[in-house]
Amino acid sequence: MLPFTVEFRHGVPVFEAVVFAVKKAVASGQLVAGDRFPSVRTLSQGLRINPNTAHKVVASLVAQGLLRVEPGIGTVVAQAPEAHEEQRAALLGAEVERLVVEARNLGLDVRDVLDAVRRQWKELPWKRSSRPKG
Amino acid sequence: MEAVIQTEGLTRRFGRTDAVRGLTLEVPRGSIFAFLGPNGAGKTTTIQMLMNILDPTRGSARVLGTPSAALGPAELARIGYVSESQTLPGWMTVEQLAAFCRPLYATWDDVFCSKLLDDFRLPPGEKIRNLSRGMKVKTALACSLAYRPSLLILDEPFSGLDPVVREELIRGVLEWTDREGWSIFVSSQDVDEVERLADRVGFLESGELVTAEPIEQLQARFRRVEVVLADEGSAAAALPAGVLEVGRAGRTLRYVDTRYSDGASEAAVASLFPAAVARFEPMSLRDIFVALARGRASGRGVRGA
Repeated sequence: MLPFTVEFRHGVPVFEAVVFAVKKAVASGQLVAGDRFPSVRTLSQGLRINPNTAHKVVASLVAQGLLRVEPGIGTVVAQAPEAHEEQRAALLGAEVERLVVEARNLGLDVRDVLDAVRRQWKELPWKRSSRPKG
Repeated sequence: MEAVIQTEGLTRRFGRTDAVRGLTLEVPRGSIFAFLGPNGAGKTTTIQMLMNILDPTRGSARVLGTPSAALGPAELARIGYVSESQTLPGWMTVEQLAAFCRPLYATWDDVFCSKLLDDFRLPPGEKIRNLSRGMKVKTALACSLAYRPSLLILDEPFSGLDPVVREELIRGVLEWTDREGWSIFVSSQDVDEVERLADRVGFLESGELVTAEPIEQLQARFRRVEVVLADEGSAAAALPAGVLEVGRAGRTLRYVDTRYSDGASEAAVASLFPAAVARFEPMSLRDIFVALARGRASGRGVRGA
């Protein structure tokens, strides 16, 4: 059994679906720093996915700093680093732009979008009390 | 790329029909290649040529670096092969078959074999002829995986099996991949089953390879597009190249874009249809497959689709 759930959707690459699921689990507090993360083998067999994909997922999450390899123990969830300036710019810039463009193309109002953002925010209780400075 | 399977212009003629025509593909080592296609597409014929069960009419095939025509006991001991058309000895029990196979393979792993028979819930003392179809496939797979082959070739392993048995088969195969140097070539009509497992996908249709590419690439370039036009008259603009299944109902225009590019495609549609609202939806592997097959059938096959 895995300590998080993955929502596979048609057309969404397996790799993206699993990486997102882990990020969501960390964001919601389902996975916290220090928690053991499943091995590539367990991921592959538990999720019924290609072992190569499972490997890429772990490698990507380690590279992004969400997971850490502890010698002798295995892979664990890492302490969330303070968001780098570039990461914040990337999220608040490009990602939001994408959301706004899609929303406008669908004829949505800015209020619909803000309501939706608020609802999602509430659904994922933010356990960490520290906030980025500035 | 180190290829475990390579074919070059592989062709097989039966009477006046080409069951397989000009097939050229490569399966990289360490990957799962899903060979998809409808009934009669030529998948089994292709696999039989790979395994030297059938001679090609033209062209060539290499498996694990050896020409298929030259596959001998040494190479075959490194290949696991499970096919619908295999006949297992009905008079043997499950454990008699395992015992029979064991001395034939230097790499036979008895512990792994017992585990598989157990995981697959196979009754060791039952005669093979009394087993259900699913159990026969599981028996064949267990005896193939037990000698830890480098390459697994599965010809329609899920055909006619219930979801529980399919789960067991997939689990057994994934257990075997838990070591270095494995590769899988699996043919299937069931596209959904392999969607999560495939690295690469090849679509065979009426003997011809429609496309063979990494699954992520296929998923990235296909989108189902729905455009709601500002008014009924405005669809005069020509659609971009590489589209399939174009349909129109009232102000709604729908098509499959085979050359989607994030950002660029949205911009192109916005300039073709100003004031229209467009949605770009990712497609399941099955829908991509159907779009490609239909595109060819209608003769409006798209170059480079």
